Amino acid sequence: MAKKLSKVASGIPGFDEISHGGIPQGRTTLISGISGSGKTAFSAQFLYEGIVEFGENGVFVTFEESPRDIIRNTESFGWNIDKLIKENKWAFVDASSDDSNSVEVGQYDLGAFIARIAYAVKKVKAKRVAIDSVSVLFTHYQDPGAIRRGLYELIANLKKSNVTCVMTAERLIEDGEISRYGVEEFVSDNVMLLHSRLNAEGERERTVEILKFRGSTHDSQEAPVLVNAEGMAIYPRLRPALRGKVFSQKISTGIKGLDTLLCGGVYENSTTLITGASGSGKTIAALHFIMEGAKRGEKSLLVEFEESPDQLYRNAKSFGWDLEKYVKNGLVKIVCHYPADLKAEQYLKIIQDMVLTNKIKRVALDSISDFQRIYNERKFRAFVIGLNTFMKMSDVTSILTNTTSQILEVTEIAETHLATTTDNIVILKYVELGGRMHRLISVLKQRGSKHEKDLMEFEVTTETGIEILGPFRDVENLMSGSARRIRRIGEEKAERDFIQEAVAGRI
Amino acid sequence: MAAKYILKLYITGQTVNSEKAITNLKAVLDTQPKGLCSLEVVDVLKRPQLAEEDKILATPTVMKVSPPPARKIIGDLSDKEKVLSGLGLTVEKKKGQVQHNPAYAKQQKRNTLCESKGAQKWPRN
Repeated sequence: MAKKLSKVASGIPGFDEISHGGIPQGRTTLISGISGSGKTAFSAQFLYEGIVEFGENGVFVTFEESPRDIIRNTESFGWNIDKLIKENKWAFVDASSDDSNSVEVGQYDLGAFIARIAYAVKKVKAKRVAIDSVSVLFTHYQDPGAIRRGLYELIANLKKSNVTCVMTAERLIEDGEISRYGVEEFVSDNVMLLHSRLNAEGERERTVEILKFRGSTHDSQEAPVLVNAEGMAIYPRLRPALRGKVFSQKISTGIKGLDTLLCGGVYENSTTLITGASGSGKTIAALHFIMEGAKRGEKSLLVEFEESPDQLYRNAKSFGWDLEKYVKNGLVKIVCHYPADLKAEQYLKIIQDMVLTNKIKRVALDSISDFQRIYNERKFRAFVIGLNTFMKMSDVTSILTNTTSQILEVTEIAETHLATTTDNIVILKYVELGGRMHRLISVLKQRGSKHEKDLMEFEVTTETGIEILGPFRDVENLMSGSARRIRRIGEEKAERDFIQEAVAGRI
Repeated sequence: MAAKYILKLYITGQTVNSEKAITNLKAVLDTQPKGLCSLEVVDVLKRPQLAEEDKILATPTVMKVSPPPARKIIGDLSDKEKVLSGLGLTVEKKKGQVQHNPAYAKQQKRNTLCESKGAQKWPRN
């Protein structure tokens, strides 16, 4: 059986997941992309993480920026390359000089270039080499044949010394040829693309795509790339994997009457969508869920996009819940953000990190529709699917709230893809009847379990929060928005009599 | 007299190009007055750190270290005329007669003049 090719963990967050382990070990991998797609950042981080995380020293061959510029530009990530150079862990091969005042007379080769890299590799005992970007060679020298032969020789040499190398190449346009000057033909075994495109909203979106890793597996989908304060990070798209564990244990939502409607609560590991108009009680329902978890000693996370922590504490306090105490003792974690502050992938990552590091069992996100306003449909869908997939795989029971735009109108959930990706749907609704607003709660679906089909009236009280009063019968057309009381036999006549009496002035 | 032209020739071991470049460059320098040029041959395989310092990528490369401006000529130096002009040296068309480029010759003349008179050095501009 053929030996599986080993890979070198890049240490770039997310990359090792999409590449199934990192960059192919002892090989050269081509990274091609247009200007500004993150080639330099990727190759520098590959070296930096190699040294800091894995103790593998590196050589950076730079053609475009001077070593000084690279050191300065990466200082914002908190890197100290100067220190690594002094510790003999990082070496630069500075190929950034401009050879404009040189003349070519006769045959030549890249002997000095190759010798310098070999020397630097030997000097720091490098395991990793980054060359950024090799396309410059073709613009500096007039004999492409000499460059080609040189690159072949270089790659062969690196392979011989068992060094893992990333080599960047310039691309002229997105979706054009893989690289300018056909560099990919030298390093055809492993090719990656860094994309940088404007989306329909006019924002620049960067992604990474692995075209091929010969003899090894990898994700074929493009994954979003973001550069944040610590450097570059890749956000693997989570695909809906139907491999989460299935639980038969039900847990309480924290709302007694709702548990009854759900025939004992929601299944562990399930996702519940609570949908309703503004002010219909969604945030309270989310708080119920979180408080219930905290009371049982389960770690819970509340992701809040509409209220600040202080507002939440105050609201919880008004129902007699000491949320602040649970936050202080670490049982409850709260993440409050303006939805537009970060990108969807970053929120996903924050939630993932929170859940994994704190062993969170319950997550409430209030509200998911805040994203719907910001993202296009495709992105919103990817976000919801990614979130649900992650929750399922990490055994988290979750509640997502969804704000509908209309207060009294038909309940709208189907078009948002929320309905199919969530296990349970609970509807909160206002109904106007007899000159009064009524609040109703109902379970629309519960996967894998029966549930009561009744529409229940509820109130929000200061003692208990959401309190379910009882079934709201004798009314029809509630869901279509034109509620009408069902008249009992005799009722109509009594009403007529009453009017007649009133008209006659007898009442 | 110290050499006025300091040249460095970078080569990679004993390749065809390396050998050619040495031969060609020596032939060019032979056309120059004795002692005018000094040549150091650097094998990048033996002294890669020098190539790093001078930022040499291609071999063979001959580098004019002084007088400024620094120039580099890449290749096996098979074209004598181009090498001479690249380095700022010239060959008088008269048989065997060699002359430097006019500016250099002028400076040279001034210096000799000053030295012979024992006067102070010609002020440099």
